[in-house]
Amino acid sequence: MKLLSEEQIETVDRTARRILDEVGVKVLDENVRDRLAAAGVPVQADERVRLEGPWLDARLQEAPCRFTLFSRDGKNDIALGSGRCHFGNGGRVFQILDMATQGFRPTLLRDVANTAALVDRLEFIRFYIIACQAHDLSPAHYHRNDFYQAFARTTKHVMGGVDSLEGARQMHALAARIAGGEDTLREKPFVSVITNPISPLTLDGESLRILEFCGRKGIPATCAPAPISGATAPATLAGTLAQLHAEALAGVALAQFLVPGTPVLYGAVASTMDLRTMNLAIGSVETAMINTCSVDLAHRYGLPIYASAGITDAMLPDIQAGFEKGVSNLMLGMAGADFIHLAAGMLDSGNSIALEQYVIDNEILGMTERILRGIRVSDGTLALEAIARVGPGGNYVTDEHTVENMFEEFFYPTLAVREQYDRWTELGSPTPQTKAHDWVEDTLRRSELRLDAALVEDLRNRFPEIVDP
Amino acid sequence: MDLSALSEAVIQGNIEKAKELTQQAVDAGEDPQILLDQGLIMAMDTVGENFAKGLLFVPQMLRSAKTMQECLAILQPHFQAGSVTSKGKIVLGTVKGDLHDIGKNLVAMMLEGAGFTVVDLGVDVAPEAFVKAVSEEHPNIVGMSALLSTTMPSMADTVRALSEAGLREAVQIMIGGAPVTAQYAEEIGADRYAPDAGSAVIKAKKLVASA
Repeated sequence: MKLLSEEQIETVDRTARRILDEVGVKVLDENVRDRLAAAGVPVQADERVRLEGPWLDARLQEAPCRFTLFSRDGKNDIALGSGRCHFGNGGRVFQILDMATQGFRPTLLRDVANTAALVDRLEFIRFYIIACQAHDLSPAHYHRNDFYQAFARTTKHVMGGVDSLEGARQMHALAARIAGGEDTLREKPFVSVITNPISPLTLDGESLRILEFCGRKGIPATCAPAPISGATAPATLAGTLAQLHAEALAGVALAQFLVPGTPVLYGAVASTMDLRTMNLAIGSVETAMINTCSVDLAHRYGLPIYASAGITDAMLPDIQAGFEKGVSNLMLGMAGADFIHLAAGMLDSGNSIALEQYVIDNEILGMTERILRGIRVSDGTLALEAIARVGPGGNYVTDEHTVENMFEEFFYPTLAVREQYDRWTELGSPTPQTKAHDWVEDTLRRSELRLDAALVEDLRNRFPEIVDP
Repeated sequence: MDLSALSEAVIQGNIEKAKELTQQAVDAGEDPQILLDQGLIMAMDTVGENFAKGLLFVPQMLRSAKTMQECLAILQPHFQAGSVTSKGKIVLGTVKGDLHDIGKNLVAMMLEGAGFTVVDLGVDVAPEAFVKAVSEEHPNIVGMSALLSTTMPSMADTVRALSEAGLREAVQIMIGGAPVTAQYAEEIGADRYAPDAGSAVIKAKKLVASA
C-alpha cells in the first residue's frame, strides 16, 4: 500500500534532512555532545547538534539492513529485512480492564506474567513486548523482575522499555544467564530494548546511554520517536512525517555513532491529537496514514522498521476497537512493515490492556496475515480438472481438490460468530468477547513455565531479588 | 487379520487405497462381516468422534463416508442375502417449490456414511411424491429440507398428506434448513428438527432407536 508517490517520499525525506541539518537535534548529554564535536559534528551552545548530510549518510550506511530478533526455541524468529511482516503487542500501560466487572485497576507483576503466557499461545502475535507497569514492584529491582516474568512465560522474542541504564544491566544479566553466557546471547539475542527520543527533536542522556550499552552487548534496540500531530509535531500529516523521519534517522545515526554496526530499528510511533479536546487520538485514521508512510521512508534507507498499528482509543473491546485496529493493521501490513508493535492487547489510547483483547487481536492479525499471503494462482488452484470432474449441478464438498486445498486456502477464525442462529442461541449467544474471555480463563489455568525447573532454581539463587507475582 | 491399514485408509478418506485393501482381504478369504465391523465401521466411529471434537472438517468426514460406501460395495456380493443390516431407511427431499439441494445432499451423504439407506427424492418434491415414496419404500424416517421461508409451508402440506394417506404413524418426520426452527417442527407436527447435517445423523439414530 502506497499513500505517497515516489516523488512525494523524496520530498519528505529531503525535508527531514534539512530539519537535521538546519534545525538540528537537541542532545541532552554532555559526554555524547563532546564525542560528536570531537568527530567534527557541529555542536551549538544550546545543546543542539546539527547532523549534516554526509555525516548522516556515513552513519546510516553502518546500520545493518537485515538482522534477526530471535525466539528462545527457534520457532518464532523474526527476520527483519526479509520482507515479511511481524505483528506483536505493545507495552508499558498502567491499567487493566477486568471484563467480568468492566472495571479498571492498576497493573501488577502478575499481569506481565499473564500477558506473556497468552502471547506465548497466540499464533499471530509474533513477539512479546512487556505489556504493563508492575505497580507492586519496588524500583530497585524492577527490570530484573518484569523481564524475568516475561522470560518465564514465553519463548517468543521479548522486547521491553527500560527506565535506566541500571535497568538495562539487570535485564542483560538475567538474559545472559538464561542464554548460558553473554556471547551466546550476543549471537542469538532473544531480547531487545525500546528507547524513545522526546518529540520534537530531543534525545535525552539516559536513552543514549541505554542505546550504547545495548550496542556494546549486541542487544538490538530502537530509538522510536512518538510525535503527536497537532501537539509535539505540526498539525499536518506531511509535516509530522518529515519530523518523525528526522527523529527516527537521528536515532539510528546516533546509535551507529555510539557503536558502529549495532542492530537498530528505525522507529515510528506517530499519532494525532484530537484538537477539539486535546485528547490523544492514537486510533485515528491519520495516525494509521502517517505510520503507513513511515514504512517507505525507513525502507528508502534499507532500514527495518519498528512500526505501529492496531491501536485504538476505545475503552472496551468493542466495535470502535475492532474497526480502528482492523484498518491500521491492514494498512501497515500492506505497506510491508517489518515489525509492527502495539497491535495486540491495548485499549484506551495505549493506557490500558485487556486480556481478552489479546485474543481478539490475534484473530484480527490472523485475518491480516491471510490477506498478506495473497491469492495462489496455479494450475492446481485454478482447479480446471476439479471443475470438469464435478461438472454442472454437482458440488465440491467431497471432491479431493477441496480436502487438498481447504487448510491452506482459508483462514479459520475461532472467535468470529458463524454459527446458525439456532445453534448460536443454544450455545448461549456467544460473542467474540465472551469466547475470548473463556479462552483466556482456560489458557491461564493451564499455562506452564517456559523455563525449566533447574534454570528457575539457578536464577532464583543468583538473583534473590526476583519475587513471585 | 490386522485391519489397521484398512481403518487408517477409511479415516484418511483414501478411497483407492481402502478399496484395494478391501479387495485384497476379500480375495484372501477374510470374513466380510469382520471386515465390515472391525475395519469399516470402527474406522467411521473414530471419524465421527474426531469430527465431534472439531479435529476434522466436513469434507474430510464425507470423504471417509464415501470411502466406506465404496468398500461396502465390494463387500456386498459376499454377504448372504439379508445378512447386512442397514441402520435404517430414510426418504429425503427438498420440498415443493424449493430447488436448493446442497444442505439436503450433505445430510444424505452423512446419513449414508453412518450406515443408513437413503432414498433421495431430489428437489421440488411434492407432498404426493413423498406419500408415494413412503408407501413403496417403507422408510423409518422422512426427511424434508427447505431453504426459503416461502416454501416452508410445503412441509406442513406434506405432513398433512401423509396423515391423510394413513401413513403418518408409520414414519418419523425430521425437518431442517436455514429458516426452519424447532418451534416450527412442533407447529406442523414433525417429530424432529435438525439444525445441521451432523445433528441430522445423531437425531436420525435416536429416532430409529426409539421407534
